[in-house]
Order: sequence, then C-alpha cells, then structure tokens
Amino acid sequence: MEHYDVIVIGAGHAGIEAANISEKYGLKTALITKNYSDLGKLSCNPSIGGVGKTHIASEVDILGGVICKIGDKSAIHYRVLNLSKGPAVWGVRAQIDRDLYSKNMQKYVRSSKIDLIEDEAINIIEKNNKITGVECANTGKIKSKAVILTTGTFLNGKIYFGKETKEAGRIGNSSSKELAKFINKNFKTMRLKTGTPPRIYSKSINYDILEPQPSENNGIFLSYFTKQNTNKNINCYITKTNNKTHKIIRDNLDKSAMYSGIIKSQGVRYCPSIEDKITKFGDRNGHNIFLEPEGLNSELVYPNGISNSLDKKIQLKFLRSIKGLERCEVDQFGYAVEYDSVDPRELKNNFETKKIENFFLAGQINGTTGYEEAAGQGIYAGIHAVVKIKKVKFDNKVFERDNSYIGVLVDDLTKLGVTEPYRMFTSRAENRLKLRTDNSYERFATNINTKIFNKTDYNLINKNIDNEKKIIKKLESLKYSPNDLMKKKIKVKKDGKIRNGFEVLKFLDPTTNNFKKFFNITINQKLLTKIYFDSKYEVFYERERKSYDQLNKNKNMNLTNIDFNKIPSLSREILEKLNKYKPVNLHDAGKISGITPSALFQIIKHKRIKGTKVA
Amino acid sequence: MFSSGTIYSNFTPLVKSPVIGYRISGSDVLDILKKLTKKNFSKDHSVIKVVELYNYNGDILDKCSVVYFKSPKSFTGEDVCEIFLHGSPLIASQLEQTLKNFNISGLRLAKNGEFSFRSVVNSKNSLKQAKAINAIISNESFSSLEYNKKLLFGGDILSGLAPLREDIINLFSEITASIDFVDDEDFNFKQIKKKVSAFFLKCNNILLDNKSKINQKNICKVMLIGPVNVGKSTLFNKLIDKDRAIVTDIKGTTRDILSNEFIFDGKKFEIFDTAGQRSKQGKIEKYGYKKAQSISKDIDHFFVLADKNTKKSDIKQLFDDFSVGDNHTLILTKSDQYQYKSKNIKISQNHDRELTMKKIKVSQIHKKYVSYKNQKIDFNLEEIDFLERILEYEHDIVKETDILIIAQLMRNILDDFSFEFGYINNEDVYDKVFSNFCIGK
Repeated sequence: MEHYDVIVIGAGHAGIEAANISEKYGLKTALITKNYSDLGKLSCNPSIGGVGKTHIASEVDILGGVICKIGDKSAIHYRVLNLSKGPAVWGVRAQIDRDLYSKNMQKYVRSSKIDLIEDEAINIIEKNNKITGVECANTGKIKSKAVILTTGTFLNGKIYFGKETKEAGRIGNSSSKELAKFINKNFKTMRLKTGTPPRIYSKSINYDILEPQPSENNGIFLSYFTKQNTNKNINCYITKTNNKTHKIIRDNLDKSAMYSGIIKSQGVRYCPSIEDKITKFGDRNGHNIFLEPEGLNSELVYPNGISNSLDKKIQLKFLRSIKGLERCEVDQFGYAVEYDSVDPRELKNNFETKKIENFFLAGQINGTTGYEEAAGQGIYAGIHAVVKIKKVKFDNKVFERDNSYIGVLVDDLTKLGVTEPYRMFTSRAENRLKLRTDNSYERFATNINTKIFNKTDYNLINKNIDNEKKIIKKLESLKYSPNDLMKKKIKVKKDGKIRNGFEVLKFLDPTTNNFKKFFNITINQKLLTKIYFDSKYEVFYERERKSYDQLNKNKNMNLTNIDFNKIPSLSREILEKLNKYKPVNLHDAGKISGITPSALFQIIKHKRIKGTKVA
Repeated sequence: MFSSGTIYSNFTPLVKSPVIGYRISGSDVLDILKKLTKKNFSKDHSVIKVVELYNYNGDILDKCSVVYFKSPKSFTGEDVCEIFLHGSPLIASQLEQTLKNFNISGLRLAKNGEFSFRSVVNSKNSLKQAKAINAIISNESFSSLEYNKKLLFGGDILSGLAPLREDIINLFSEITASIDFVDDEDFNFKQIKKKVSAFFLKCNNILLDNKSKINQKNICKVMLIGPVNVGKSTLFNKLIDKDRAIVTDIKGTTRDILSNEFIFDGKKFEIFDTAGQRSKQGKIEKYGYKKAQSISKDIDHFFVLADKNTKKSDIKQLFDDFSVGDNHTLILTKSDQYQYKSKNIKISQNHDRELTMKKIKVSQIHKKYVSYKNQKIDFNLEEIDFLERILEYEHDIVKETDILIIAQLMRNILDDFSFEFGYINNEDVYDKVFSNFCIGK
C-alpha cells in the first residue's frame, strides 16, 4: 500500500496549488480526483483576476504557485481594471480559454512528481483524532501523514434549474455524499449557494450591433514571470438588459429557485442573480452584461451578469429580449448550486482543523467564492502541511494581515467566520496601500528559494531585486534643497528640508524619459512605476509601521481564559458578541463589529485586576 | 500613563475658608492614617470620625473629620481617605509637609486628573463619564451642563455626533465601491469629491453653530451705579450672597476690573463693581471714569440707586457717564428710613435676599437680555474638539487626486469615529455598499 506524506482530495484550484507546493518542497504527494478531465476546470466564469483577486493570485504566484503561469499561457483577452488608480488596486483580468487552461494544467501536473489518482474519496481515516489516511471507492485505503480536503462545491451539492433539481457538485459532476457524511459528523457546517449564468452559442449572437471591448493589458500579466502572451487575443462584447427583460423576469419570480423559497441558503451579495438585481435595484436603464468567449475554439460565450436559477423556458425568453441575443441558442442553462461548507472557525490559523490533527481544509469548502481565493487557500494549506510534516522552516510573518491578502483572507475566515460566500476586496485590507500587485516579491522576499522556483525564475527575481536596490541606493544618495527643486520646476514648501532622490520622485511625472532627464539613471517603465508609488505612499507606510507597533503591544493580550460574563458594565449586546466570537486576544476582540474601545478598556482592566491589586 | 503609588491632593481650593479638603488614594492609606491619627481605621469603612491629626513634630496638626473608604467601595476603587481640615492654608501646608516626612515610597502629590484616571482604570467610571465630570465642573452655561449630565448618566449613544457616523459610513462605502467594483457601476470621481466636500461642510456648520452656543455663557451683566453711601455695597453684598459665599476675586476679564458672579433662580449674573466697593484702608478710590465707560458698553442692565438725598442732576450725571439708556431700573434704597411717594422700586437692608431679588425683578431682567432660543445643545466641548480634528483632514483630502489616498484618509477618520462611537468594521461598510449600489456579477 502506498504511503504518502500528503494526500490532496479534489483537483480544483485549491487542490492543485496544495499538491503542487507540497511536491515542490519534496513531500510525497497524491492528488485524488473523480475524473482526470476535471483537473483545472474553471467552473463558472472563464476568467482569472480582478480587483482583489489578482492581489491574491500574485501572492500565490510568488509563493511558487501555478494559477498565474497557466492563466497567462491560456489567456485570450486582457483588461486592467483601475488602471488609473495605481498598482495598489490594479486588477489585471485575463479571459481564459477553458480548453487551453485544462490542457495546460493537466500537462503541468502530469509532468510533475504528483501522483494523480482517479477515484472517489469516500472517507477520511483517523485514529485518536490524528490523520492516518484516506479511503477511496476503488483503490481502497491509502495511508498518509496529512490530508488536505479541497472539494469545492461538491459536498452534498445540489443544482437547481427553477423547480428542477439534481444532485451534483457542478453540471456533469456527481456530488460527494459519502465525504459529506464524515464532514457533517465532525464539523459545524452551513449551506451556501452560488449561481452561474447560461452558456450561449457564439454563432447565435449578433455582434454587429454590440459594443466591442478589445484586449489591452498595458504590459501587465498575471504572473511575475510572464514576458509575453502568444495566443490570439479576441474581443469581448457588452450588452444590456432592458425593460422587456425585466418584465419577463418579474412576472416569473415564483419560478425562480431562489425567489420561490426552494433554496433557503445564503447567496452572495456581490454576485447577485439577475432576479436580485431587478428586485433590489429596479430597472436602472438596464443592467450590464459582458459577453465573454469561452475559448478560441469554443462555440460558447459566457454572459457575465445574468446568473439565475429560473426555469429553462423563462431563461430563453428573457435572453432573447436582450439586444444582440434576439436569436440566441443556449447550450447550458443557468443554474444555482447549493452545497455544504465548513464553518472556517473550525480551523486553526494554519488551516489545520482544530479537531483532527494533520487534517487541512482549503478552498470553497471553507465558505469562499472565486478561483483565486481557493488558490490562495490551497497554497497556504499546502505550505503549512509541509511545515507541520517536514518541519520546514518558514517565515510565517509574511502571512500577517498587514503583509498579504492571503493573510487577510485566513484571518477573516478563521476569526470571524462567514455568513455568505467570502470574496476578497481590496477594502478588506487595512494596509491596502502596501499590499500591491506589483510588490509581492518584496513582501514575500524571505520566502524566495530554489525549491519553489526553477533556476531561470529564481535568477530573474534576484536580478530584478538587485537592480532595484542599486537604483534606490543611487536615488537616496542624491540630495535636493527646496531651491534646487524650484530650479527644476518642482514646487515644494520652503521648509529648508533636504530631500533625497527617492523622496523627490513622487513629485515627478513617472515616465522613463523624465526620470532619465532628472536623475540621469536609466530605468524600465515597470520598475519606475513601482518605485514611484513607493515614494508616493511612503508617508502612509511609515504611519502604518508605527501604529502596527503600537497595536502589537496590546494585541497579544491573551483572552482565552476570560469569562466575559464576569466583566462588569459590558452592555448585553457586546457581551453577546464576545461570547459568540470568543476572541483569543485583544486585537481580535477589537475587530468584532460594534465593540467599543471602552469595552476593550473594561477587558484590559478586568484582566489586570484579576488576582492583582492596582496600586 | 501615571505611575502607581499612593497619591494625595487637596480637593477644595487652598484659600481661607471654613474647610480645606484632602483626599488620599492608594495602598498606603491605612498606614498613613495610622501615622497621622495614631488610630487604626481598617474597620471603619465609610464612617466619619473626628480625630486629632499629628504633624511631623508630634504636635497636634488639627482636630477634624476624617473618613476612610475601603477598596473597592471608593471613588477611585482603591483605599481612599478624605480629611476635612480647618480651612487654613497654613494647616494644609503643614499636612503636606507631614505626609512628605513619612517617607513612604511612591507617595506623591497627584497630577491633574489623576484621581479621575484611577477611577476609570478601576472601572468606577467610563472614559466618557470621567470626561463629563470634568466638563460639568468647568461648565459655564446650564445648557451645556444639561448635555454633559445627559452623557454622564445616559451614555455615549445620546451624543449629537452619532448621526454623523451614518454619514461617514455611507461616504466611505461609496468610495470603497468605486475601487472594488469599478466595473459594475458608474462611479464618478468628481461626484465623490463633491460628497466628501459636503460632508466636511456639514461638520463645519455643526461646529460653527455649536461653538457659539457652547461659548455662550448665558450670563446677564449688570452694574450698580449711584452716589456714594446710597447703599450700593449693601445691595451688592445681598446680590452675591456674601454671607454664604466665599468671595474670591474672579480674574478673567481683560480690563482688570473686579466683578462677581451670582446665581439666582437658575440664572447666572455677572455684577460689576463701581466706586466704593473695593476701598483700601482709609482711602476711598473714586472710580476711574475711563474704565467705567469702557465696561458700560458690555453691561446689559444698570441698577441705578438713589435715596431721598439724591438730586435729579446727580442721576443725570450718572446716566451720561455710564451711557445709560433704557436698560436701567431706578431703585430707591433705605425704604426703612424714608417714605417715598414715587412708584419706583423701594428696597431696604432689612429685606432678605429672596425678597430683594423679587422686588428688583432680577429674573425678568435676565430673560430680557439673555436669549433662550436655541438653548438645547447637542454637543459638548469634547465633541467640538473631535469635529475640529476631523476637519483637519479636509485640507489634505480636498487637494488630493489619488482616490486611494483619499480612501486611506477617510479610513483614518472612520477609525477616529470608531474610537468615539464603537468600532466601525468592514461589515458595517459592506452592508452599505451592497444595499446602496447594484454591484457584482
């Protein structure tokens, strides 16, 4: 019988990242999937990246992950969101050719040392609350030191087309019922729901009357390492719903699985179905629909913005009321999927379950939505499985929430839990200005090593870092007085302050020509943009460092043994929250919505007075 | 903040008065009491005892009331004692010297606000309540007094700034949405900047509106004028209730003029002294007319005193010197000695204070000059200060073109609000984002 270090169940975005990183660190790794062809499937939207999502993806990339590299290889359209707002909130989004992605991912995994097992995992085996292995339908029992479960939407998955339902994790895939039993028996779960729109035949769309959106990425790719995209790039198109569409939907809300009450579970606020949009926000001159082609050789188009769970007949009717889709034909109708997910507060900070040792959960099963969120969790769980099993040294500070979006994600999930599928937004990060898509290599510098990168990639990063250091050093050695700057047509306060080149950089228009003229240093545009924003935001970084130190002093005040009910003068509402969330330290207590500083004050005083006199 | 150690301080002013109070708080209180009084107070919680205090020579320092409060049932939550010395500043200084000579480690004079601080730390008061105590003491108007009492006894929610919290969450949610959901709705940077400006304008208006209300002292300024010996000093002393009040000279006006305050019927008055009031030994200083003229511009109402011997021309002279117009009351004094036919107000030194006030219609005069509109105040000084801090961000935000930096600065404002009104976290913002904007695919 095979004996593995790590078994990963589920070959979705989380599973692949977990298996990949585990293998790179030299652990014997198995990846179990029900179908080989499922490897690297994009369940919903054929795109990777976006505001907040690219942020996570770029961190996965610099940790040695694959989603960005394979994404770029399979991209057929690019768009950079928030381009004018600066790299802190850039979101390069790539439309992905589904087939290409699948093929590329499968090729990658098969060429690695990961043992791919095509089977269904039906049980987790543990002894004395410690993992010993996994049981599969055909292969039987497989021994392993650690198990990472990444089953996405498959646990007790049920899909809905209006009143028609089917047990499935995704269309065409059966749900995992056996595993669900084990999970429900051992962990607190909740029922979540997500939806997907219909897929339309491209040939049936009238593109001539629609607005095209060509591909443009301004040289920005998903992966740090991608130099170019050699695929043919195609257009996306934009259309809108109209009053006719809205009337059809309104008249048939009772046939919607979500609105007729058939589905009772919580949906996603920021991925509202078209029923949601119309009910809550009315007509608004029509709601936007982005027509995203599924691939260069695909006949299908993914209409982004009209996910729904209406009856199939109604879907066709309302689709055909939309401009450009008057004669559309549908290949796959839109549906909603309901599934079990685990309350992420069942997990420790390293994503190991509190109850069973060496059992990790990652991905949509933890109550998130999105490929990137899944990938971030997968690589995170994988790294921590490696650290646990092989006792590899890893600088865990990189995963603090003031240093990475993965950190924010992990912290939010394990501390606050979820009430709806969790999606990453840049505004979730307090330190947003620092957590940029163009500086992940800096934030994760302590982790860059030859295990996770091949020689070429490793040398590339180091070369770039050295080059940057040299340029910064040169800039810092140049000094300018306010008068010097006035002569160079830069207005500053006459405060007599001497600024170095780096500090002056924020006043310039950051083009390579300007830079050369001003400092007489040659630089490429990408690096220039990066250090320009470093200069611009430096005052905020400074402030953040200071306040983080202050917070650090308090934040570690341990609250695990406190009986909150004994603290006098806490309001009932606050008491309820403290008892519900059970914060482990003061910092976490402060993050609970509605907790007042005076309540924190009470906690401090209570902690201090307990047993000791205040002199 | 403040270091530990037993602290002491007077809690009444160190002036000649019936009593001077000292409070001591900390773990050494019983020890100090033993040394001071040679008695053991440990079983005498909350009992006032009259005892002898001994100074550092062994001589009697004073014989007076002392009370001991056992922790935690005291103002600060620690062991506390209060000593009610005879009101001699000399005795007070002897007490302090005695305390110093005990050589108790850590014993020291309390810093400003330190007793209150300890009461907060030991959870006898909330932070806002402690601040309200301070505000109540320093209040100058009844309306702001009422507001601070409301806060002290009612809690933070009753603050007038609470609605602004809604505004800032809404604003921040729009900024958040415009960054994270740029694709889904049309967010106009100019519009957002306009809304930010509107928010600051609102803060500014609240500030201006309430600053004047709070600074409004609701004091009616009156002046007694009249020839010498007409009885101004008698009336003056009656108004300020000299028999009961500690008459201390109140400094504060810019022209070095002595005035006193008195309160009657819940209304505050400032009464200005004229010639004859502050006479030095044997020398009566005639009041400088220049000074008188400059004050009379600020006077709301004049009480013009006259008796049987006063000539009409005297009164006319007074009216001219002090620029008295319709804002006066003619009062005839010594009605116990003289009979007056006129219908003007007549007072006598034999009337008690209450009757005198009624006769000269002090309450009505106050109502006439002090506006009672807009008496309700929704903010206290603390909160005004908070608004001013918020407004400090305005300059930086208005000139900023980078929406991320604006978002970061707004986040700082949000954090300041959190400190005052309870943590505003991401969920509060997202609730707004998703209910106000149609976003997401």
